Amino acid sequence: MDTVELARLQFALTAGAHFLFVALTLGLATLVAVIQTRATLTRSPVHMRMTRFWGQLYIINYAMGIVTGIVMEFQFGLSWSGLTDFAGNVFGASLAIETLVAFFIESTFLGLWIFGWNRLNRWAHLALIWVVTLTAYASAFWILITNGFLQNPVGYRMTGGVMELADFGALVANPAALVAFGHVLGGAMVVGGFFMAGVSAYHLRRRTTEQDFFRKSLRIGVAVALPATLFTAIFGGLGFETLQPAKAAVWSGSAENMARAQADMVARFGPGDYLPPIGWVQGAGMTMMILFAVMLFFSAASFLFMLIRPVVRGFRLWHWMLTLMIPVPFVTMIAGWIFREMGRQPWAVYGLLKTSDAVSPVSAGQMLTSLIVFTSLFGVLILLNYWLLARQARRGPDAAALGAVEQAPVVQPALTF
Amino acid sequence: MEIFILGFFAIGYLILAGADIGVGMLLPYLGRDLGERREVIAAIAPFFLGNEVWLVATGGVLAGLFPHVEGELMGGPGFLAVVGLLTAWIVRDMGLWLRGRVPGARWQAFWDGAIVAGSWGLALAWGTLLSGLLLNISWPAAILPALAVAALFGTHGLAFASLRLTGTLRDRARVLSPGDGELRTYALTAGALATIGILAGSGLHLEAANAWLTPVILVLIPFLVGSQAWVWWTFRHRVTGPSYL
Repeated sequence: MDTVELARLQFALTAGAHFLFVALTLGLATLVAVIQTRATLTRSPVHMRMTRFWGQLYIINYAMGIVTGIVMEFQFGLSWSGLTDFAGNVFGASLAIETLVAFFIESTFLGLWIFGWNRLNRWAHLALIWVVTLTAYASAFWILITNGFLQNPVGYRMTGGVMELADFGALVANPAALVAFGHVLGGAMVVGGFFMAGVSAYHLRRRTTEQDFFRKSLRIGVAVALPATLFTAIFGGLGFETLQPAKAAVWSGSAENMARAQADMVARFGPGDYLPPIGWVQGAGMTMMILFAVMLFFSAASFLFMLIRPVVRGFRLWHWMLTLMIPVPFVTMIAGWIFREMGRQPWAVYGLLKTSDAVSPVSAGQMLTSLIVFTSLFGVLILLNYWLLARQARRGPDAAALGAVEQAPVVQPALTF
Repeated sequence: MEIFILGFFAIGYLILAGADIGVGMLLPYLGRDLGERREVIAAIAPFFLGNEVWLVATGGVLAGLFPHVEGELMGGPGFLAVVGLLTAWIVRDMGLWLRGRVPGARWQAFWDGAIVAGSWGLALAWGTLLSGLLLNISWPAAILPALAVAALFGTHGLAFASLRLTGTLRDRARVLSPGDGELRTYALTAGALATIGILAGSGLHLEAANAWLTPVILVLIPFLVGSQAWVWWTFRHRVTGPSYL
């Protein structure tokens, strides 16, 4: 493989790994903030325990996700200096705003939320989780503004072969970005809802002692999953209106459409192959659509089941299925991203800069080194994350260290022989 | 003004995160068993997440105000040093977050090792990058200045640890600050880190873009510093026991 292909693979794996974490972070943060609001308003002990348990799972995931996000941020400079040279004046601005408005505040306040438990005023502590949640949304917003610009460049002018920002309003109002933002937010709530329902179902099926705790949690999860699935689908449908012509032609599968899109591009940009990889675009698109249907039917049925208390308590087949459904929204999300990003090829900035012209002037050996290092680290991170999440989820609310009253370390008595 | 903004975040990172990196480097010296090491980690625990975002912000400022410098710094000769820096960063953070997730001496000792290795890796990667900018040299000639920078991070970490810890742990951290001179040591090492950062930055060919972004960032800075000040104020007292990590 040459440097471009290695850089693309590295970016795809980095972004994909990062998004597995991001999706759950966004979804769970929102649910934790809502539950903590309830706990703070009513002083309900069960809701405070729920905040700590789900918050612990949220933090396990966040901590592993932040390091993938750091690599993600530096990918542009490392692997795609051609892109930063050409378009950095425009999308560098949205990345800068993302780090300052969102990432910086999110991490600072999350640290305060974690370590300030039992130290801060409870209203201040509640405000922190809301700031963390809203800045996580802001982060997603600015990242999708950046991505939307690459998909559908707007608000720029060309000066001497380099882009400049001409219209900030147009950059922010880019439909390719706003529709994706709605779609991603909805998708994150689907991930969070299914996760909460699936973990709760595990405890209900095992008849652990925390019946009330997990019945409430399961209801929240299912009550979020169904409307979030519909919300996501609406924005997904709108997203099809913003597809680039070549992506739309490949998705339609019609040879005639594809030939026309290819001919149009050749007329505009000269000879070349302008169709994105057909198998990837169609395969990923179909995966997303089929899994959407599965989630819609399953969450609709679950919505009915959760209204009947004996079913919530004792329908073990359903419990099994809820737990088995946890990975499905993750897979759907990744499929959606592959559809979106593969469908943009061969362009880095659609119609303006080819991916092959965007790569940094580094050797294939260097790129391979970083690919191997980051991929192995991310593999370990993902495995550890899911193992720790499963372990913490199984052990239940009493094992949550988050917000536990700080104890002196247990001193081992010295052995005397 | 753009250069001031870049310097503000970069030097803020070096001084703030330099302390938690230094503590991580000297973890085996400061804490002799698992319990002691947990208490040493509690000295940096509430801060490291808020410290490392200064570098994230530096990256953002580079991308927004100096997009050409960003590619030049990372996508060229500095490529492997930046990859090394990111790798060490990930390993160090994994160690900090994971050591307390599972009980068991071997698990915790393993992640303590990751904290130490990652912290050294961070310090040496910074040493390499800074000496590349300052002296225009690369490996293996850069190893000596890189080690000197790493030693500075370590000293800075000791000074920070002696400001945060109590008892035996504090005494160990005070080895280079006789009497009650820990604040003076911290000020000196912070000044040295800032000086190196400024000198290294002065070698960059900084041509700013996106002039409209500058006032936006200037308006944001007080809010960002304010949010951090809340953290510093909340955790201003010395550590007397383990924390969440």
